Amino acid sequence: MTLLRLALRYQRTGFIAMSVIAGIGVLANALGFAEIVGDSPADRAAFAAQMELLGKQLSVLLPVPSHLDTLAGYLHWRWFGSLGLVFAFWALMTATGAGRGDEERGFVETWLATGVGRLRYLATRVAGFAIAAAASLALLGAMTALAAQLAKEPIAIDRIVLEMASLFALMLAAYGIALFVSQLVTTRRGALGLGGIVLLVLYLANAATRVGDPSPLARLSPFWYHERNRPLLGEGLDAGAMLAMTAIALVFTLLSVVAFVRRDLGSALLSGRSATARRVTRPARNPLLRAPVLALLWQQRVWIFGWAIGLAVFAFFIVGLTKTIVDSMAAGPPLMRLYLERAGLVGYSAFIGGIWFSMLILLLSIYTVAQVAGWSADDAEGRLATILSAPVSRARVVIERLLSLVLACGIVVAVTSLAAYVAASGQGIDLDVPRFALASALILTVVFALGAAGHLVAAWRPRVAVVALSAVAIWSYFLQQLAPLFGWPDAVKNSSLYALYGMPMTGVNWSGIATLIGIGIVGTVLTLRAVQTRDVGA
Amino acid sequence: MTEAIETHGYTKDFGSGRGIFDLDLTVKDGEVFGFLGPNGAGKTTTIRLLMGMIHPTRGSGRIFGLDADADAVAVKKKVGYCPGELPQWGGWRGTEIVAYVAGLRGDVEDADVSLIAERLDLDLGRKYREYSHGNKQKLALVLAFMSRPRLVILDEPTSGLDPLHQQAFYGLVRDARSGGATVFLSSHVLSEVEHVCDRIAIVRDGKLVTVSTLDQLVGMRAYRIEIDFADSVPIDRLRATPGFEQVQVTGQRVTGMLRGTFEPLLAAVSGHRVTAFTSREPSLEEIFLTYYSDPAKAVAAAR
Repeated sequence: MTLLRLALRYQRTGFIAMSVIAGIGVLANALGFAEIVGDSPADRAAFAAQMELLGKQLSVLLPVPSHLDTLAGYLHWRWFGSLGLVFAFWALMTATGAGRGDEERGFVETWLATGVGRLRYLATRVAGFAIAAAASLALLGAMTALAAQLAKEPIAIDRIVLEMASLFALMLAAYGIALFVSQLVTTRRGALGLGGIVLLVLYLANAATRVGDPSPLARLSPFWYHERNRPLLGEGLDAGAMLAMTAIALVFTLLSVVAFVRRDLGSALLSGRSATARRVTRPARNPLLRAPVLALLWQQRVWIFGWAIGLAVFAFFIVGLTKTIVDSMAAGPPLMRLYLERAGLVGYSAFIGGIWFSMLILLLSIYTVAQVAGWSADDAEGRLATILSAPVSRARVVIERLLSLVLACGIVVAVTSLAAYVAASGQGIDLDVPRFALASALILTVVFALGAAGHLVAAWRPRVAVVALSAVAIWSYFLQQLAPLFGWPDAVKNSSLYALYGMPMTGVNWSGIATLIGIGIVGTVLTLRAVQTRDVGA
Repeated sequence: MTEAIETHGYTKDFGSGRGIFDLDLTVKDGEVFGFLGPNGAGKTTTIRLLMGMIHPTRGSGRIFGLDADADAVAVKKKVGYCPGELPQWGGWRGTEIVAYVAGLRGDVEDADVSLIAERLDLDLGRKYREYSHGNKQKLALVLAFMSRPRLVILDEPTSGLDPLHQQAFYGLVRDARSGGATVFLSSHVLSEVEHVCDRIAIVRDGKLVTVSTLDQLVGMRAYRIEIDFADSVPIDRLRATPGFEQVQVTGQRVTGMLRGTFEPLLAAVSGHRVTAFTSREPSLEEIFLTYYSDPAKAVAAAR
């Protein structure tokens, strides 16, 4: 019981954060729907038609819209469609903590030394997550019922329960995958990176099926199976999909247990023998290790390389679909063409600017969150104390971290933009190169703002930095999506960091860019003040 | 002459009585200074204050005349540091860690790194996660000594080292001192400070108990006494003897700790047949325990 209590305690922050995010989101969407949908059937039909246009444009990110003239249909598309990714992120965070983070901190060794078996240890951690996830989903279900009541369009309880059941299966599947990935690497940071990439690829594999034929990869994606379930729309659960998600969860969790039992603590499942035979007593001669900023980039070379290659492949894939998507939309009803004009998505170039860059920002935000997690870990794991034992000011540490973040993202953006350009050229799309380069470069202002804000939180409360920054990223993303939909004022819209970036391929929002830079500068200055006063390791 | 370390009313209050309080301490330039205390006494807190890792609640700490908090960067140009809690460097190789920290310091000769690594028998080519605890400790010592600092601050430096490499460490300390450096080391291992320290401070519950030379500490007028009586034991007279403390009776044998002169004790036993009377100077361990434990525990531990 003690172990289970501890496992539940580890879930506390994630449980609160996810329950709040999911609960507020469902409430906002339900009330927003009631506000704008109109009263007459004709108004509702018109609203649904407009939203379907938007839905097709966002089909890479959200499920195919259906029954948008009802609250249940709207929530299914607008909120629950993306909530799976949010909950999968929670599963990733907690699974990598259980599978690798606690081992890094020596907790696992302590527990095993008390006589707890490896199987029992991991099973308890899985159970802790399952209980927290179920509790969070129960709250979300209750919030959904309440929101529907407030919107005066009640949804049957059994439909809500089945929707939560599908999300629960998805979360366990994502948890199992992330737990298994954690066995393949030796650090929490590595597990977060690799696990994040794997889950993202699986998510995008499903997303790609909405605009094309299902690939074999989609059949491996729990997101694909989750999307087969549409209980809120009264279609119940797909037994095969539920079975598949449960199987994915079970198989990967069992593989994780086998790997955990088989491998040495502190080692990866597949670790080779040390290649160094000769005793070495001299420091490494690599000049990059001794150069400010470059040393940090060198330390993360594999990580940066992985992100650059992964996103370049993704860019090539997404941009490669541009002509197909735009041509099919342009060939659609007049209303569709009207929408493209209003949204500033007329032409291939503008479409790439609107769709690809909004995705890239989201992905770089995930990279930034991982970096902030690393900065917090530097403090908790004693590396910061070693760095500060050299004649290095705390201010220099902060500046170097932010510079290395922006430079690393600059490398990733350069590689991915090159891939996007090659993909566009391959389709005969004539991109305005200077403008495309400018739009790519300006993304770094979002990274700077998010990184500085993240560092400020990490300096203030390291343990909540990741959750807080993730919340900002999620808030920014959904606000960017919701604000145009509900016609919210600019002041609200601009509280999204992503909205401030705008769509530079069609016109640079210089005031938004200036605001992002301002947020970055203010965040940096406040961070510099915060790190001067705080105790290292506190 | 500027002192290596000087603190006045140095306090870090974590609440609930935890921390270090009103520490007044002076460490002379060129000496090896031991900072002794049990776990939780405030040794690491003091060292982290001196290293500018944490900020004092009140009071001041100066290193070679520089404020340890406000002039932290300038201070660290003169200081090498071995933390008590070893950092986690994951998959880094020892060579990379040393090169990275050397790059941050900017005043490290590769030859010095090699010399220390060889003396400690440390292979820098391996990954940090493959190191044993002892090897991680050796790497921390390499980082502390490699810049030939004027002051070396070491928090429980021999933790995890085997006896052979403890001797190598003592050699490093002696060489540093002979080269003009000051060494400030915390420990709860008394034999360690007996080996290398000139002076010792003892802290308990966040307060400084005493500062003295090793000779002074050992030479305190306190003796372990064992008396074997042939017949009845004059226990009442013995317990009433001034300066005779921690009295224990086991059959015909009496043990205790005597402070001050022998005359009152000899008077107390006069008229009784004594078959054996043994007195010896207490070990540093026993002196240490008299500061940290209640008398009963001290006697039990000293046996």
